[in-house]
Amino acid sequence: MAAVTGRDITTGAGELIQRLCGFALDQMALSGCALVLMSGAESASVLACAGRHAQTITRLQMELGEGPCLQAYATGVPVLLPDLAAENANRWPTFAAAALAHGVQAEFSLPLSVRPGGIGTFDLCRDAPGTLSEEHLADALVAADIARDAVLYQQYVPGDAGLAGLLATVGTDRIVIHQATGMIAAQLDETMSNALARLRAAAFASGRSMCDIAQDVVERRVRFDE
Amino acid sequence: MSETNRGRPGWPVDSGPHGRSGDVARDTLLARAFVRLADTLASDFDVVDFLQTLSEDSVAILGAEAAGVMLADPRGGLRLIASSDERMRLLELFELQGEQGPCLDAFSSGRAIQASAADSLGRWPVFTPHASDAGFQMMCAVPLRVRTDVIGALNLFRGIDEPFTDAELDLAQAMAEVAAIGLIQERALRERGLLADQLQAALNSRVVIEQAKGMLAEYLTVTVDDAFTLLRHYARDHNRKLSELASDVAERKIPSAALARRPGQQP
Repeated sequence: MAAVTGRDITTGAGELIQRLCGFALDQMALSGCALVLMSGAESASVLACAGRHAQTITRLQMELGEGPCLQAYATGVPVLLPDLAAENANRWPTFAAAALAHGVQAEFSLPLSVRPGGIGTFDLCRDAPGTLSEEHLADALVAADIARDAVLYQQYVPGDAGLAGLLATVGTDRIVIHQATGMIAAQLDETMSNALARLRAAAFASGRSMCDIAQDVVERRVRFDE
Repeated sequence: MSETNRGRPGWPVDSGPHGRSGDVARDTLLARAFVRLADTLASDFDVVDFLQTLSEDSVAILGAEAAGVMLADPRGGLRLIASSDERMRLLELFELQGEQGPCLDAFSSGRAIQASAADSLGRWPVFTPHASDAGFQMMCAVPLRVRTDVIGALNLFRGIDEPFTDAELDLAQAMAEVAAIGLIQERALRERGLLADQLQAALNSRVVIEQAKGMLAEYLTVTVDDAFTLLRHYARDHNRKLSELASDVAERKIPSAALARRPGQQP
Protein backbone atom coordinates (compact mmCIF):
# COMPACT_ATOMS: atom_id res chain seq x y z
CA MET A 1 0.00 0.00 0.00
CA ALA A 2 2.82 2.38 0.86
CA ALA A 3 4.25 1.74 -2.59
CA VAL A 4 1.03 3.08 -4.01
CA THR A 5 0.46 6.12 -1.85
CA GLY A 6 3.95 7.09 -0.74
CA ARG A 7 5.65 7.61 -4.05
CA ASP A 8 4.76 11.19 -4.70
CA ILE A 9 2.60 13.21 -2.37
CA THR A 10 2.10 15.93 -4.96
CA THR A 11 0.30 13.53 -7.27
CA GLY A 12 -3.30 14.57 -7.85
CA ALA A 13 -6.23 12.61 -6.53
CA GLY A 14 -7.10 11.27 -9.99
CA GLU A 15 -3.76 9.58 -10.48
CA LEU A 16 -3.63 8.30 -6.91
CA ILE A 17 -7.06 6.71 -7.24
CA GLN A 18 -6.14 5.18 -10.57
CA ARG A 19 -3.07 3.65 -8.92
CA LEU A 20 -5.17 2.31 -6.06
CA CYS A 21 -7.44 0.58 -8.56
CA GLY A 22 -4.46 -0.91 -10.39
CA PHE A 23 -2.96 -2.03 -7.09
CA ALA A 24 -6.18 -3.75 -6.03
CA LEU A 25 -6.57 -5.41 -9.42
CA ASP A 26 -3.04 -6.86 -9.33
CA GLN A 27 -2.88 -7.83 -5.69
CA MET A 28 -6.33 -9.30 -5.19
CA ALA A 29 -6.78 -11.28 -8.41
CA LEU A 30 -9.73 -9.15 -9.50
CA SER A 31 -11.31 -8.91 -12.93
CA GLY A 32 -12.52 -5.38 -12.24
CA CYS A 33 -12.09 -2.56 -9.79
CA ALA A 34 -13.78 0.84 -9.81
CA LEU A 35 -13.90 3.95 -7.66
CA VAL A 36 -17.38 5.40 -7.99
CA LEU A 37 -18.65 8.75 -6.72
CA MET A 38 -22.36 8.89 -6.01
CA SER A 39 -24.94 11.45 -5.06
CA GLY A 40 -28.45 10.45 -4.20
CA ALA A 41 -29.12 6.91 -5.31
CA GLU A 42 -29.44 7.85 -8.95
CA SER A 43 -26.18 9.36 -10.02
CA ALA A 44 -22.78 7.70 -10.26
CA SER A 45 -19.50 8.83 -11.75
CA VAL A 46 -16.70 6.32 -12.22
CA LEU A 47 -13.63 8.29 -11.12
CA ALA A 48 -11.14 5.56 -11.84
CA CYS A 49 -11.20 1.92 -12.81
CA ALA A 50 -9.09 -1.04 -13.86
CA GLY A 51 -9.81 -4.46 -15.30
CA ARG A 52 -12.21 -5.70 -17.94
CA HIS A 53 -15.22 -5.79 -15.63
CA ALA A 54 -14.54 -2.38 -14.12
CA GLN A 55 -17.35 -0.50 -15.81
CA THR A 56 -19.68 -3.48 -16.09
CA ILE A 57 -20.85 -3.67 -12.50
CA THR A 58 -21.35 0.06 -12.09
CA ARG A 59 -23.24 0.42 -15.39
CA LEU A 60 -25.45 -2.57 -14.57
CA GLN A 61 -26.42 -1.20 -11.19
CA MET A 62 -27.21 2.26 -12.51
CA GLU A 63 -29.17 0.69 -15.34
CA LEU A 64 -31.15 -1.57 -13.03
CA GLY A 65 -31.37 0.79 -10.05
CA GLU A 66 -30.35 -2.01 -7.69
CA GLY A 67 -27.28 -3.85 -6.49
CA PRO A 68 -24.53 -4.04 -3.89
CA CYS A 69 -22.81 -0.73 -4.64
CA LEU A 70 -26.08 1.19 -4.29
CA GLN A 71 -26.70 -0.59 -1.00
CA ALA A 72 -23.16 -0.01 0.27
CA TYR A 73 -23.55 3.69 -0.54
CA ALA A 74 -26.99 3.92 1.06
CA THR A 75 -26.13 2.03 4.26
CA GLY A 76 -22.42 2.81 4.73
CA VAL A 77 -21.79 -0.91 5.30
CA PRO A 78 -19.64 -3.11 3.00
CA VAL A 79 -21.57 -5.58 0.87
CA LEU A 80 -19.63 -8.78 0.22
CA LEU A 81 -21.00 -11.20 -2.36
CA PRO A 82 -18.46 -14.02 -2.83
CA ASP A 83 -20.83 -16.03 -5.02
CA LEU A 84 -23.28 -14.15 -7.21
CA ALA A 85 -24.77 -17.44 -8.42
CA ALA A 86 -26.03 -17.95 -4.88
CA GLU A 87 -27.55 -14.43 -4.94
CA ASN A 88 -29.70 -15.29 -7.90
CA ALA A 89 -32.80 -16.00 -5.91
CA ASN A 90 -31.96 -13.66 -3.08
CA ARG A 91 -31.49 -9.94 -2.69
CA TRP A 92 -30.84 -8.84 -6.27
CA PRO A 93 -32.05 -11.47 -8.71
CA THR A 94 -32.00 -9.07 -11.68
CA PHE A 95 -28.57 -7.62 -10.94
CA ALA A 96 -27.03 -10.99 -10.07
CA ALA A 97 -28.30 -12.64 -13.24
CA ALA A 98 -27.07 -9.76 -15.40
CA ALA A 99 -23.65 -9.71 -13.70
CA LEU A 100 -23.27 -13.46 -14.16
CA ALA A 101 -24.21 -13.07 -17.81
CA HIS A 102 -21.26 -10.66 -18.11
CA GLY A 103 -18.96 -13.16 -16.42
CA VAL A 104 -18.82 -11.50 -12.99
CA GLN A 105 -19.06 -14.16 -10.29
CA ALA A 106 -18.22 -12.25 -7.11
CA GLU A 107 -18.53 -8.64 -6.07
CA PHE A 108 -17.36 -6.70 -3.05
CA SER A 109 -18.57 -3.16 -2.58
CA LEU A 110 -17.01 -0.96 0.10
CA PRO A 111 -18.54 2.41 1.01
CA LEU A 112 -16.49 5.63 0.98
CA SER A 113 -17.91 6.56 4.36
CA VAL A 114 -18.10 9.99 5.86
CA ARG A 115 -20.45 9.87 8.82
CA PRO A 116 -23.37 10.01 8.68
CA GLY A 117 -23.41 9.40 4.91
CA GLY A 118 -20.88 8.68 2.23
CA ILE A 119 -19.60 9.90 -1.13
CA GLY A 120 -19.47 6.69 -3.16
CA THR A 121 -18.06 3.19 -3.24
CA PHE A 122 -14.93 1.19 -3.98
CA ASP A 123 -16.06 -1.81 -5.99
CA LEU A 124 -14.12 -5.00 -6.57
CA CYS A 125 -15.26 -7.91 -8.69
CA ARG A 126 -13.96 -11.28 -9.85
CA ASP A 127 -14.66 -13.68 -12.65
CA ALA A 128 -14.53 -16.57 -10.18
CA PRO A 129 -16.49 -17.12 -6.96
CA GLY A 130 -14.75 -17.00 -3.59
CA THR A 131 -14.37 -14.82 -0.54
CA LEU A 132 -11.94 -11.94 -0.26
CA SER A 133 -9.19 -12.94 2.19
CA GLU A 134 -9.05 -10.99 5.45
CA GLU A 135 -5.77 -9.46 4.36
CA HIS A 136 -7.20 -8.33 1.03
CA LEU A 137 -10.34 -7.01 2.68
CA ALA A 138 -8.22 -5.01 5.12
CA ASP A 139 -6.14 -3.61 2.24
CA ALA A 140 -9.28 -2.75 0.29
CA LEU A 141 -10.82 -0.95 3.28
CA VAL A 142 -7.65 1.10 3.72
CA ALA A 143 -7.57 1.84 -0.01
CA ALA A 144 -11.19 3.02 0.19
CA ASP A 145 -10.32 5.41 3.04
CA ILE A 146 -7.29 6.75 1.17
CA ALA A 147 -9.35 7.27 -1.98
CA ARG A 148 -12.11 8.98 0.02
CA ASP A 149 -9.70 11.45 1.63
CA ALA A 150 -7.88 12.06 -1.65
CA VAL A 151 -11.17 13.02 -3.29
CA LEU A 152 -12.41 15.13 -0.36
CA TYR A 153 -9.21 17.11 0.08
CA GLN A 154 -8.80 17.58 -3.66
CA GLN A 155 -11.55 20.17 -3.26
CA TYR A 156 -8.97 22.49 -1.69
CA VAL A 157 -7.02 22.50 -4.96
CA PRO A 158 -8.39 25.37 -7.06
CA GLY A 159 -9.32 25.31 -10.72
CA ASP A 160 -8.92 22.54 -13.23
CA ALA A 161 -6.14 20.90 -11.22
CA GLY A 162 -8.67 20.32 -8.45
CA LEU A 163 -11.75 18.21 -8.12
CA ALA A 164 -13.69 20.30 -10.65
CA GLY A 165 -11.23 19.28 -13.35
CA LEU A 166 -11.44 15.66 -12.32
CA LEU A 167 -15.23 15.67 -12.30
CA ALA A 168 -15.46 17.45 -15.66
CA THR A 169 -14.22 14.32 -17.40
CA VAL A 170 -16.29 11.70 -15.57
CA GLY A 171 -19.97 10.82 -15.56
CA THR A 172 -20.45 12.64 -18.88
CA ASP A 173 -22.07 9.54 -20.42
CA ARG A 174 -24.99 10.00 -18.05
CA ILE A 175 -25.66 13.66 -18.88
CA VAL A 176 -28.12 12.64 -21.58
CA ILE A 177 -30.01 10.51 -19.05
CA HIS A 178 -30.48 13.50 -16.74
CA GLN A 179 -31.63 15.70 -19.60
CA ALA A 180 -34.08 13.06 -20.82
CA THR A 181 -35.34 12.67 -17.25
CA GLY A 182 -36.21 16.38 -17.22
CA MET A 183 -38.00 16.09 -20.55
CA ILE A 184 -39.96 13.00 -19.50
CA ALA A 185 -40.91 14.71 -16.21
CA ALA A 186 -42.35 17.60 -18.26
CA GLN A 187 -44.13 15.28 -20.68
CA LEU A 188 -45.80 13.31 -17.90
CA ASP A 189 -46.14 16.12 -15.35
CA GLU A 190 -44.19 13.91 -12.96
CA THR A 191 -41.36 14.26 -10.43
CA MET A 192 -37.78 13.69 -11.55
CA SER A 193 -37.44 10.42 -9.65
CA ASN A 194 -40.66 9.04 -11.16
CA ALA A 195 -39.53 10.16 -14.60
CA LEU A 196 -36.21 8.37 -14.12
CA ALA A 197 -38.06 5.23 -13.03
CA ARG A 198 -40.13 5.39 -16.24
CA LEU A 199 -36.97 5.75 -18.33
CA ARG A 200 -35.37 2.80 -16.53
CA ALA A 201 -38.49 0.68 -16.98
CA ALA A 202 -38.62 1.50 -20.69
CA ALA A 203 -34.97 0.47 -21.05
CA PHE A 204 -35.53 -2.75 -19.15
CA ALA A 205 -38.65 -3.63 -21.14
CA SER A 206 -37.03 -2.93 -24.50
CA GLY A 207 -33.65 -4.45 -23.74
CA ARG A 208 -31.94 -1.19 -24.80
CA SER A 209 -29.68 0.89 -22.60
CA MET A 210 -30.99 3.91 -20.73
CA CYS A 211 -28.48 6.05 -22.60
CA ASP A 212 -29.85 4.94 -25.97
CA ILE A 213 -33.44 5.68 -25.06
CA ALA A 214 -32.44 8.95 -23.40
CA GLN A 215 -30.70 9.97 -26.62
CA ASP A 216 -33.94 9.31 -28.53
CA VAL A 217 -35.89 11.40 -26.03
CA VAL A 218 -33.50 14.35 -26.17
CA GLU A 219 -33.48 14.23 -29.98
CA ARG A 220 -37.28 14.07 -29.89
CA ARG A 221 -37.64 10.73 -31.60
CA VAL A 222 -39.38 9.22 -28.58
CA ARG A 223 -42.01 10.71 -26.27
CA PHE A 224 -43.36 9.20 -23.08
CA ASP A 225 -46.83 10.80 -23.23
CA GLU A 226 -47.99 9.08 -26.39
CA MET B 1 7.79 32.82 38.68
CA SER B 2 8.86 29.68 36.87
CA GLU B 3 8.43 28.13 33.51
CA THR B 4 8.19 24.39 33.66
CA ASN B 5 9.12 22.05 30.92
CA ARG B 6 9.73 18.67 32.44
CA GLY B 7 9.30 14.97 31.76
CA ARG B 8 6.16 12.84 31.82
CA PRO B 9 3.90 12.78 34.88
CA GLY B 10 5.10 10.84 37.90
CA TRP B 11 2.63 8.30 39.21
CA PRO B 12 0.98 8.00 41.66
CA VAL B 13 0.41 11.67 42.15
CA ASP B 14 0.91 13.31 45.52
CA SER B 15 -2.39 15.01 46.15
CA GLY B 16 -0.67 17.61 48.37
CA PRO B 17 -2.42 20.01 50.67
CA HIS B 18 -4.94 20.98 48.01
CA GLY B 19 -6.15 17.54 46.99
CA ARG B 20 -9.91 17.96 46.60
CA SER B 21 -10.72 14.30 46.85
CA GLY B 22 -14.03 14.74 48.67
CA ASP B 23 -15.55 11.33 49.08
CA VAL B 24 -14.19 10.02 45.78
CA ALA B 25 -10.53 9.12 45.45
CA ARG B 26 -8.62 11.41 43.10
CA ASP B 27 -7.51 8.46 41.00
CA THR B 28 -11.16 7.72 40.32
CA LEU B 29 -11.92 11.35 39.45
CA LEU B 30 -8.90 11.36 37.19
CA ALA B 31 -9.88 8.16 35.43
CA ARG B 32 -13.38 9.51 34.81
CA ALA B 33 -11.97 12.80 33.56
CA PHE B 34 -9.70 11.07 31.04
CA VAL B 35 -12.57 8.95 29.77
CA ARG B 36 -14.59 12.14 29.22
CA LEU B 37 -11.62 13.80 27.50
CA ALA B 38 -11.31 10.90 25.07
CA ASP B 39 -14.97 11.05 24.11
CA THR B 40 -14.89 13.62 21.33
CA LEU B 41 -16.14 11.55 18.42
CA ALA B 42 -19.75 11.20 19.57
CA SER B 43 -22.27 12.52 17.07
CA ASP B 44 -23.60 15.10 19.55
CA PHE B 45 -20.14 16.43 20.49
CA ASP B 46 -20.16 20.04 21.60
CA VAL B 47 -16.85 21.85 22.00
CA VAL B 48 -18.14 24.27 24.66
CA ASP B 49 -19.57 21.46 26.79
CA PHE B 50 -16.35 19.51 26.36
CA LEU B 51 -14.11 22.37 27.51
CA GLN B 52 -16.53 23.34 30.28
CA THR B 53 -16.12 19.80 31.61
CA LEU B 54 -12.33 20.08 31.27
CA SER B 55 -12.29 23.27 33.31
CA GLU B 56 -14.55 21.81 36.01
CA ASP B 57 -12.54 18.57 36.15
CA SER B 58 -9.35 20.61 36.45
CA VAL B 59 -10.74 22.43 39.47
CA ALA B 60 -11.81 19.17 41.13
CA ILE B 61 -8.62 17.24 40.42
CA LEU B 62 -5.81 19.80 40.49
CA GLY B 63 -6.73 21.72 43.59
CA ALA B 64 -7.46 24.92 41.71
CA GLU B 65 -10.13 27.38 42.71
CA ALA B 66 -11.09 28.28 39.18
CA ALA B 67 -10.16 27.18 35.68
CA GLY B 68 -10.82 28.31 32.13
CA VAL B 69 -9.99 27.30 28.60
CA MET B 70 -9.08 29.45 25.62
CA LEU B 71 -8.85 28.23 22.03
CA ALA B 72 -7.12 29.74 19.03
CA ASP B 73 -9.46 31.04 16.34
CA PRO B 74 -8.64 30.56 12.65
CA ARG B 75 -6.69 33.85 12.60
CA GLY B 76 -4.48 32.75 15.46
CA GLY B 77 -6.07 34.93 18.15
CA LEU B 78 -7.31 33.37 21.38
CA ARG B 79 -10.96 33.16 22.36
CA LEU B 80 -12.40 32.29 25.74
CA ILE B 81 -14.46 29.13 25.40
CA ALA B 82 -15.16 27.88 28.93
CA SER B 83 -14.73 28.93 32.56
CA SER B 84 -15.48 27.14 35.79
CA ASP B 85 -17.13 30.27 37.22
CA GLU B 86 -18.16 33.83 36.39
CA ARG B 87 -15.29 35.50 38.25
CA MET B 88 -12.83 33.48 36.17
CA ARG B 89 -14.67 34.33 32.99
CA LEU B 90 -14.39 38.07 33.59
CA LEU B 91 -10.73 37.79 34.50
CA GLU B 92 -9.93 35.83 31.36
CA LEU B 93 -11.78 38.38 29.27
CA PHE B 94 -9.55 41.05 30.84
CA GLU B 95 -6.56 38.89 29.96
CA LEU B 96 -7.63 38.75 26.33
CA GLN B 97 -8.49 42.43 26.19
CA GLY B 98 -5.20 43.48 27.78
CA GLU B 99 -3.34 41.02 25.58
CA GLN B 100 -1.24 39.82 28.49
CA GLY B 101 -1.35 37.07 31.10
CA PRO B 102 -0.41 33.45 31.78
CA CYS B 103 -2.81 31.90 29.26
CA LEU B 104 -1.45 34.01 26.40
CA ASP B 105 2.14 33.26 27.40
CA ALA B 106 1.45 29.51 27.64
CA PHE B 107 -0.19 29.65 24.23
CA SER B 108 2.59 31.60 22.53
CA SER B 109 5.46 29.68 24.16
CA GLY B 110 3.84 26.24 24.09
CA ARG B 111 5.03 25.76 27.66
CA ALA B 112 3.45 25.55 31.09
CA ILE B 113 3.54 28.83 33.03
CA GLN B 114 3.22 29.30 36.77
CA ALA B 115 3.40 32.65 38.55
CA SER B 116 2.40 34.22 41.83
CA ALA B 117 0.34 37.41 41.56
CA ALA B 118 2.72 38.99 44.06
CA ASP B 119 5.64 38.60 41.62
CA SER B 120 3.88 39.30 38.36
CA LEU B 121 3.20 43.03 38.26
CA GLY B 122 6.30 43.62 36.15
CA ARG B 123 5.48 40.86 33.69
CA TRP B 124 1.75 41.55 33.30
CA PRO B 125 1.15 45.10 34.59
CA VAL B 126 -2.43 45.34 33.30
CA PHE B 127 -3.56 41.83 34.06
CA THR B 128 -2.04 41.20 37.52
CA PRO B 129 -4.09 43.82 39.43
CA HIS B 130 -7.29 42.36 37.95
CA ALA B 131 -6.24 38.88 39.12
CA SER B 132 -5.46 40.18 42.62
CA ASP B 133 -8.74 42.09 42.78
CA ALA B 134 -10.60 38.93 41.79
CA GLY B 135 -8.94 37.19 44.74
CA PHE B 136 -6.42 35.04 42.89
CA GLN B 137 -2.88 34.68 44.24
CA MET B 138 -1.42 31.85 42.18
CA MET B 139 -1.78 31.61 38.42
CA CYS B 140 -0.94 28.72 36.15
CA ALA B 141 -1.52 27.98 32.48
CA VAL B 142 -0.71 24.95 30.33
CA PRO B 143 -0.92 24.80 26.54
CA LEU B 144 -3.45 22.63 24.70
CA ARG B 145 -0.83 21.07 22.52
CA VAL B 146 -0.35 18.12 20.19
CA ARG B 147 3.36 17.84 19.46
CA THR B 148 4.24 21.27 18.04
CA ASP B 149 0.66 22.27 17.30
CA VAL B 150 -0.68 24.57 20.05
CA ILE B 151 -4.41 25.11 19.74
CA GLY B 152 -5.20 26.87 23.03
CA ALA B 153 -4.45 26.94 26.75
CA LEU B 154 -5.90 25.89 30.09
CA ASN B 155 -5.80 28.45 32.93
CA LEU B 156 -5.73 27.36 36.57
CA PHE B 157 -5.99 29.89 39.40
CA ARG B 158 -5.68 29.57 43.19
CA GLY B 159 -6.92 31.92 45.88
CA ILE B 160 -3.88 31.25 48.06
CA ASP B 161 -0.25 31.95 47.27
CA GLU B 162 0.80 28.34 47.03
CA PRO B 163 2.36 26.95 43.84
CA PHE B 164 0.98 23.98 41.99
CA THR B 165 3.24 20.97 42.60
CA ASP B 166 5.25 19.47 39.76
CA ALA B 167 2.92 16.48 39.85
CA GLU B 168 -0.11 18.75 39.56
CA LEU B 169 1.43 20.63 36.65
CA ASP B 170 2.24 17.35 34.93
CA LEU B 171 -1.34 16.21 35.40
CA ALA B 172 -2.69 19.50 34.10
CA GLN B 173 -0.46 19.19 31.04
CA ALA B 174 -1.56 15.59 30.48
CA MET B 175 -5.24 16.55 30.67
CA ALA B 176 -4.64 19.48 28.32
CA GLU B 177 -2.84 17.27 25.81
CA VAL B 178 -5.53 14.60 25.80
CA ALA B 179 -8.13 17.35 25.32
CA ALA B 180 -6.09 18.80 22.43
CA ILE B 181 -5.81 15.40 20.71
CA GLY B 182 -9.55 14.91 21.05
CA LEU B 183 -10.31 18.36 19.67
CA ILE B 184 -7.99 17.92 16.70
CA GLN B 185 -9.55 14.54 15.87
CA GLU B 186 -13.00 16.02 16.13
CA ARG B 187 -12.02 18.92 13.87
CA ALA B 188 -10.65 16.53 11.25
CA LEU B 189 -13.87 14.54 11.37
CA ARG B 190 -16.00 17.67 11.08
CA GLU B 191 -13.90 19.00 8.22
CA ARG B 192 -14.30 15.71 6.37
CA GLY B 193 -18.05 15.92 6.93
CA LEU B 194 -18.20 19.45 5.51
CA LEU B 195 -16.09 18.45 2.50
CA ALA B 196 -18.36 15.47 1.87
CA ASP B 197 -21.45 17.69 2.05
CA GLN B 198 -19.85 20.13 -0.38
CA LEU B 199 -18.94 17.33 -2.77
CA GLN B 200 -22.43 15.82 -2.61
CA ALA B 201 -23.93 19.24 -3.31
CA ALA B 202 -21.63 19.69 -6.32
CA LEU B 203 -22.52 16.26 -7.70
CA ASN B 204 -26.23 16.83 -7.11
CA SER B 205 -26.17 20.22 -8.78
CA ARG B 206 -24.60 18.68 -11.89
CA VAL B 207 -27.55 16.31 -12.11
CA VAL B 208 -30.21 18.91 -11.32
CA ILE B 209 -28.89 21.39 -13.87
CA GLU B 210 -29.13 18.75 -16.63
CA GLN B 211 -32.63 17.79 -15.48
CA ALA B 212 -33.74 21.42 -15.48
CA LYS B 213 -32.31 21.90 -18.99
CA GLY B 214 -34.37 18.94 -20.17
CA MET B 215 -37.51 20.17 -18.47
CA LEU B 216 -37.17 23.67 -19.95
CA ALA B 217 -36.40 22.24 -23.38
CA GLU B 218 -39.64 20.26 -23.26
CA TYR B 219 -41.92 22.93 -21.77
CA LEU B 220 -40.57 25.75 -23.96
CA THR B 221 -39.92 23.65 -27.08
CA VAL B 222 -36.33 24.80 -27.38
CA THR B 223 -33.08 22.86 -27.71
CA VAL B 224 -31.25 21.69 -24.61
CA ASP B 225 -28.46 24.16 -25.37
CA ASP B 226 -30.94 27.05 -25.63
CA ALA B 227 -32.54 25.90 -22.38
CA PHE B 228 -29.14 26.22 -20.71
CA THR B 229 -28.75 29.75 -22.08
CA LEU B 230 -32.16 30.67 -20.64
CA LEU B 231 -31.16 29.21 -17.27
CA ARG B 232 -27.91 31.15 -17.19
CA HIS B 233 -29.52 34.44 -18.23
CA TYR B 234 -32.30 34.13 -15.67
CA ALA B 235 -29.79 33.25 -12.94
CA ARG B 236 -27.67 36.27 -13.82
CA ASP B 237 -30.61 38.69 -14.19
CA HIS B 238 -32.11 37.58 -10.87
CA ASN B 239 -28.81 37.16 -9.05
CA ARG B 240 -29.46 33.48 -8.38
CA LYS B 241 -27.02 30.61 -8.16
CA LEU B 242 -27.43 28.38 -11.19
CA SER B 243 -27.75 25.20 -9.14
CA GLU B 244 -30.44 26.69 -6.88
CA LEU B 245 -32.39 28.03 -9.83
CA ALA B 246 -32.15 24.65 -11.57
CA SER B 247 -33.46 22.97 -8.45
CA ASP B 248 -36.42 25.39 -8.31
CA VAL B 249 -37.18 24.74 -11.97
CA ALA B 250 -36.89 20.96 -11.54
CA GLU B 251 -39.29 21.09 -8.59
CA ARG B 252 -41.55 23.51 -10.48
CA LYS B 253 -41.21 26.20 -7.81
CA ILE B 254 -40.45 28.51 -10.71
CA PRO B 255 -42.66 28.00 -13.80
CA SER B 256 -40.64 27.30 -16.91
CA ALA B 257 -42.50 30.10 -18.72
CA ALA B 258 -40.86 32.62 -16.38
CA LEU B 259 -37.52 31.79 -17.98
CA ALA B 260 -38.77 32.08 -21.53
CA ARG B 261 -38.08 35.78 -21.92
CA ARG B 262 -35.49 38.05 -20.45
CA PRO B 263 -36.68 41.25 -18.76
CA GLY B 264 -36.56 44.22 -21.12
CA GLN B 265 -36.40 41.95 -24.11
CA GLN B 266 -38.95 42.58 -26.82
CA PRO B 267 -41.53 39.82 -27.21
